[in-house]
Amino acid sequence: MSFRERLQSWRYNLVPDHLVGEILSKRWTDNAIPFLALVATLGVFGSIIPGFFKPMSLQESTRQLGEFSLVVTGMTVVMLGGGIDLSVGSIFALSCFSAVFVFFILEQSVWLALAASIATGLLFGAINGYLIGYFRLRAFLTTLVTFIFGRALFDILVTTYAADVQLSDATSDVLDFIGDDTFWGLSVAVWAAIILAIITHVALTRSRPGWHVQAVGGSRRSAHNAGIRVRRTVFMTYVFSGFCASLGGFLIACRLSGAGPGTGLNLEVMALTAAVVGGVSLGGGRGSVIKGLMGAIIVLTMTNGLIRLGYGTGTNQMVLGIMLAVAVTIDIRWLKNRHKVLDEVYVAPVYLKMATTQSAAPGSGTPYELDNRLSEADHIGLGELEGPEDVILDRDDHLYCGTRHGEIVRFFAPDYKRSEVFAHIGGFPLGLAFDKTGNLISCVGAMGLYSVSPEREVKRLSAETSRSWTSIVDDARLRDPNDCDIAPDGRIYFTDSTKRYDAHDWALDSIENRATGRLLVYDPKEGSTKTLLDGYRYTNGVCMAHDGKSLFFAESWACRVHRYWLEGPKAGSAECVIRDMPGYPDNINRASDGNYWMAWLGMRTPSFDLSLRHPDMRKRMTRRLPQDEWLFPNINTGGVVKFNEKGGIVEAMGDLSGAAHPMVTSMREHKGFLFVGGILNNRIGRYRIAGADPNWTSPASYWGAKP
Amino acid sequence: MLDPILDIFRGKAVTIPPLDGAFRPNTLLDDAPAFAGLTEPDNLLVADGRLLASSGNAIYRVAAGAAPVLVETFPAAVTALARSPAGELTVGLESGRLLIAGREVALPAGIGCITALAYAEDGTLWLANGSADHGPSQWAADLMKKGASGSLWKRDPASSEFRKVAGDIAFSYGLHPTGKDVLVSESWRHQLIRFDGATGSRSTLLAHLPGYPSRLSTAAEGGAWLTLFAPRNRLIEFVLQETHYRNDMLAQVLPQHWIAPALASNRSFLEPLQCGGIRTMGIHKPWSPSRSYGLVVRLDREMRPQYSLHSRANGTRHGICSVVEKDGRLFIASKGGDCLLAIDMASEGHR
Repeated sequence: MSFRERLQSWRYNLVPDHLVGEILSKRWTDNAIPFLALVATLGVFGSIIPGFFKPMSLQESTRQLGEFSLVVTGMTVVMLGGGIDLSVGSIFALSCFSAVFVFFILEQSVWLALAASIATGLLFGAINGYLIGYFRLRAFLTTLVTFIFGRALFDILVTTYAADVQLSDATSDVLDFIGDDTFWGLSVAVWAAIILAIITHVALTRSRPGWHVQAVGGSRRSAHNAGIRVRRTVFMTYVFSGFCASLGGFLIACRLSGAGPGTGLNLEVMALTAAVVGGVSLGGGRGSVIKGLMGAIIVLTMTNGLIRLGYGTGTNQMVLGIMLAVAVTIDIRWLKNRHKVLDEVYVAPVYLKMATTQSAAPGSGTPYELDNRLSEADHIGLGELEGPEDVILDRDDHLYCGTRHGEIVRFFAPDYKRSEVFAHIGGFPLGLAFDKTGNLISCVGAMGLYSVSPEREVKRLSAETSRSWTSIVDDARLRDPNDCDIAPDGRIYFTDSTKRYDAHDWALDSIENRATGRLLVYDPKEGSTKTLLDGYRYTNGVCMAHDGKSLFFAESWACRVHRYWLEGPKAGSAECVIRDMPGYPDNINRASDGNYWMAWLGMRTPSFDLSLRHPDMRKRMTRRLPQDEWLFPNINTGGVVKFNEKGGIVEAMGDLSGAAHPMVTSMREHKGFLFVGGILNNRIGRYRIAGADPNWTSPASYWGAKP
Repeated sequence: MLDPILDIFRGKAVTIPPLDGAFRPNTLLDDAPAFAGLTEPDNLLVADGRLLASSGNAIYRVAAGAAPVLVETFPAAVTALARSPAGELTVGLESGRLLIAGREVALPAGIGCITALAYAEDGTLWLANGSADHGPSQWAADLMKKGASGSLWKRDPASSEFRKVAGDIAFSYGLHPTGKDVLVSESWRHQLIRFDGATGSRSTLLAHLPGYPSRLSTAAEGGAWLTLFAPRNRLIEFVLQETHYRNDMLAQVLPQHWIAPALASNRSFLEPLQCGGIRTMGIHKPWSPSRSYGLVVRLDREMRPQYSLHSRANGTRHGICSVVEKDGRLFIASKGGDCLLAIDMASEGHR
């Protein structure tokens, strides 16, 4: 091995590149940028301004922050629902005035002032919501109108009543407490903001109305089609925003004991900037309360910090504008390119040097030598079937197979010309097995382990196993359950081929070649699933040995077959029985003569084997070429191989023309015939095996003669 | 805007010209009847009204409805054929030798890869030397090693000496004399170039071809026929930029299993396969990426592509290295499809 090659193997096998893609595929990465911005802002202003973190200073800032956060929370909800609310500033101001009017001029109680304030907010929110939700007016223009109107009204009222408020001698301990005091070290404003944020967060993420808001924001049309009352949902978001703004207005009324021309001025710009900087998408549907709060802290720290550093309003507005522009650009670019970035970094190939293999070429004289026998097979369901990955026959000779449409199709004996959909499961049914009582057990790609009773009742047996501690990607979920077989005691042994890719992306796993395949067991008595083995390169076919004391399983991308011991001195351990084959093994099943059939899904090619030693080349290939151009193993030629109990190869057959059975993923012997399936094929082949026992059937081999 | 910066880290996308316009795909080559079966027919030539085809180290006479008749055999494979205005058969061999009317002609050192021969109307003999490092049959190695050592030679009618007109050609594979000048297909750079007969200065005539151009022949109505013996393929162009992988491949993998253009493909399961070429539900997609293809292009008098004849990824008439037009019929030698095709130009509605 050259020095460069050794470096490559270290670089690509020891550096966990795959984690980048796994982290990026998590939804919480959306929070990373605003969070970093938050830390940076706090850090910068904290170090520049002396006493920034002093309790007195913080108390005043957080009181302001509490009021502001309330408004931002309302804005966040509106934006999540796909709208925008420019009138929050004027609602805030008007609510403030309502409270002041009721308390100082009418000299009523603080609680009545609060009620008046909330009523004002709800009224203006309802006007916005009614016009936008039910009248379907543009959110931007409508709230702009309410903003101008509300502001004008506020200015008139404030100038009219300013003197009266000044002259009023109404006082209240409650008002002073809300405005100036603290409760457990935090002001009422902060408490209000925290409580509202928690309630809103729970409502958005865990309640029906909250989901409706996000659904409407994500796609109005789809939400409508799904039966969500879009108009009412939009209406409610504005009412909620008005409510939030009015709470903020009430709190500032208490704090300042009055209302002035500056109340709520530019609040809408600040709130909008806060929401967008926090990462709430302008397009709707993406965002959270937490993001809104992060944005609120960033914006307020920035503006207050600039004021304390001596910059004027102009600079402040300028900074806000720049922040908004940057945030919008990042938001749009990220939204647009996130999946592209993910596509580019997700495939993280590893280094593997495949050992040299015996040739399977015709005329090579090895036990693996492929011939053209499979091309003589009769076809069943030609043109009707799509993707029979596995095939199986029951005691009455009927033939079952899965299809890529998520169905189990049954062909009727004896001529297999008539067929019906036996059951619809969904996903992509792959491996099949019959249990003792005649239930059809299937590994369903992208879904899990399922059981179909003879009465066609579909039941999910397992969709998850235990989560490992060190994995970033959720490895509890079964992503690609591939093949299963059943032990004499009824336990179902099955494989989950990869943790990194969904079932339909199985070929990407061959490019990456990372060992994440597992062997699992499902115990029907307890209903539990356990991981037995982990870290194989695409675990595939599973087959109980004839004596039921061990099982064989295929490791596709490594071209190996292993034996896992269920009992005896080696119980619980695996050993490799066939290594370095020239083809990639798929399903394994019993043969009538005491041997085993193994399907080859494709053949190794020198160019692909070489590429496995050049992980950098494969990585660049996935980035620079579209998927249709990528180098693959040669899966246009497969075959069927028979091996014995010790792992010795008995014979091999194929379809070299590729016309009938290019890729073979399964085969099942039944009464002297071999039934051949392929995941990318449009037929099942039926091949007469010379010299095979014409009475042997798989159900009888597993569960004895018919009861 | 950021793409040029990001490209440094992620690598630029590899792109090839699309098959569009005059190169719009059709199935004319696969639909055409086989005129005669012949193993790897390479050069076609009309001599005294008869059609000659080279195959391996022999020349055959081919006629409709009859088996090819052996005309002559040579000690090495025939790699170029031409006929002088005086009617002398001129043959280039794999061994780098040149025979005119059966007599060997002394060649200057530096000629060892005769890929094409052509006589101008005044009797000047043009000779394309594909590579200084490889023989004609080793063309794939020349491409994968990024060879650009081809050269163009000519022998004036009065002289008996060959004179080098130009060098540094990335595999000169076809010749088409026009007056004093000559058109050369430069395969590895996917272009047609014109060389001035007097000064040897070059000008690019047709660039960004979707395949690797090979031999040229005169069209009866003016202009020329251009053959492209293999398609451009994004994976191959990518491998050409992957130095370490490519060198390992050249050293450790048999040439027929390389990721390289080919005259025919999908014959062995040891050949590379690309994702798009996977046979799905019994279908091999005709638009899938392929290492081999059949493509003949008609060029007008200004050497602009007019229309083309195709055998697509799922076809078999691949690896076309030579065509010749005779009596209103176009004869096509499919080296990868082991057959000769004849297409009646008058009855074809493809213009």
